Amino acid sequence: MGVQTDSLLRYRPWRGTPRGPLWGAAAVARVAVRLLAGRRLFWGLAALGLMVFFFFFYAQYLFVWIKTFTDETVRFAGVPVAVADLSKFLGRVNLDGSVHTFGNYVWFQGYILVIVLALAGSVLVGNDFAHGSLPFYLSKPIARRHYLLGKVLAVGAVVNLFTTLPAVVLWVQAGLLFDWHTYYVDNFHLLVGILGYGLLLTVTLGLLTVATAVWVRRTVPMVMAWVGPFVLLRMIAEWVVDGLKYDPRWRLIDLWNDLYLCGLWCLGADPRTIRPPAQPDVWEAALVVAGVCGGCLLYLRRRVQAVEIVQ
Amino acid sequence: MGPPIPTEALLRTDSGRGSDSSLVTDDCSLKPLLLFEHASKWYGPVLALNQVTLELTGGITGLVGANGAGKSTLLRLATGQIAPTLGRVTVRGTDARDWRARRLVGYCPDADAFYEDLSGRRFVRVMARLCGYARREADRRTDAALDLVGMTGRADRPLRGYSKGMRQRVKLAQALLHDPELLVLDEPLSGIDPVGRQDLLGLFRQLAATGKCLLVSSHELEALEKLTDHVVVMARGRVAAVGTLQQIRDRLDDYPLSVRVEVDRPREVARRLLALPEVVGVEVDAAGLVVRAHHPKRFFAAFGRLTVEDGWEVRRLEPLDESAHAVLGYLLGGSGRT
Repeated sequence: MGVQTDSLLRYRPWRGTPRGPLWGAAAVARVAVRLLAGRRLFWGLAALGLMVFFFFFYAQYLFVWIKTFTDETVRFAGVPVAVADLSKFLGRVNLDGSVHTFGNYVWFQGYILVIVLALAGSVLVGNDFAHGSLPFYLSKPIARRHYLLGKVLAVGAVVNLFTTLPAVVLWVQAGLLFDWHTYYVDNFHLLVGILGYGLLLTVTLGLLTVATAVWVRRTVPMVMAWVGPFVLLRMIAEWVVDGLKYDPRWRLIDLWNDLYLCGLWCLGADPRTIRPPAQPDVWEAALVVAGVCGGCLLYLRRRVQAVEIVQ
Repeated sequence: MGPPIPTEALLRTDSGRGSDSSLVTDDCSLKPLLLFEHASKWYGPVLALNQVTLELTGGITGLVGANGAGKSTLLRLATGQIAPTLGRVTVRGTDARDWRARRLVGYCPDADAFYEDLSGRRFVRVMARLCGYARREADRRTDAALDLVGMTGRADRPLRGYSKGMRQRVKLAQALLHDPELLVLDEPLSGIDPVGRQDLLGLFRQLAATGKCLLVSSHELEALEKLTDHVVVMARGRVAAVGTLQQIRDRLDDYPLSVRVEVDRPREVARRLLALPEVVGVEVDAAGLVVRAHHPKRFFAAFGRLTVEDGWEVRRLEPLDESAHAVLGYLLGGSGRT
């Protein structure tokens, strides 16, 4: 007797137990990341991010390699440079597997990340609102908070792909380049700090991206909205604090700097080593970050309860 | 607009079986599948739904009404997309906004905007994962649902290349994925060719026969009439009438019923009928006569008596305005067009 394959395609009562809505949130995140990965622009920006990573990766290697030639000179474009000077320069830019290596890496990666998130926001969230895809999600057994959680997870995945994951790779590389027996043990707190910094970025940027995307929905306005906190406010803060020598608290209006200060605190950096030196206290920066997160949560809560979510 | 008809639980039929209803609680099957209790919805200053009380327990129910009558709002409330400003909407006793209630509800929205880069199969699979199914079960259900709507062979193409009819089928597939007790379908026949329409109408009947409850909103009254004679008529945010078209028509006593009668002696029959108190007018033409009468039941009883007494040879007796169009026309005060 042949196998009745058609019976497999017929409906039968569900006998298993569907998983909870948190799995639904994971499904939302998966499809969101997949959609983002389908954009060429995303891969172009990812390539730029990869270049920043490779700069740090090879510079760390170069730093260790150069230190083996302490009494020699190397030629750069035909110009002899003392290895000791080069080593001092590389040490100054903190490419030595220290706290500031990872802090600087995330700082520089932030320039690309902000553009990626502007794209991600409109692709992941804005499209659902602008094109009316939301009823498909919300007709499934997930609550609105699970939908938002899924989107925040997707943004978090992108953030970590650009920051935390490469930073962890740099930490592993630093251990292999230096004395790995002692490096991994002595600097384990750096790994924890990197993960903490990543978590902070995930939560803050995830909420901010989703909230902004819900607000403006389209890519160009989204980019313009990002320019405000991440470019304009930074320039104002630098001008006011460094140029006009006002209170360093003015730097609090620069959210990326606030995240940087909190991140360095996670990494256990000495506040005196932070550059530029005129900085607000970490707790003040943490308060601003918490305020931004709280504001985003309140806004999202208000929006998911509003009628417009299905309009 | 005609006189409002009291909303009653006319649509009660056998409750659903063989689906995921056990996912809420076992004793929930005793509660109405979908219950609106004095539900009102305001959009700012606009009252979209006004004190709607409605109970669905099974079978196929058509939802008809003019644009802006509140159909979409009613469907959104039923599927938990929005919350009522006043009143309550429950699915088997669970608030419709609760995600658990949506395990019992499948929704096929009117809008078909989704990620155009996805294939139909991928889209349905994503929806299956959203329902909480593990990968293997999601794949199995995706295949089953696509097979059910006749999209198995065409599901691997990107959505952007789909016709309107194919989109409707894929949307229907995602609504059927979790084998819901209640299916809420917003314009499910829109854009589907006549052959496909017959297939889907057959599928809807088949689903209803297995105990599922279908709430179908449609502007295509002819198709709706073929599917069901149970309708909810919406007008200006209110439920103007609930029941079968016949029941609704019978209650519209203030509106005379038009009946075409083809007999051998039309003038004599007209004279006799005009003597009846229910008859308000008769038009005689070459083919027979059109009688306009109040109180249809009494009129038909009197007509039958006279036919026997006078020995009329009635070749045809056809009510002209029991169609959904005509009933809607009476209720909505227009032509019945929606």
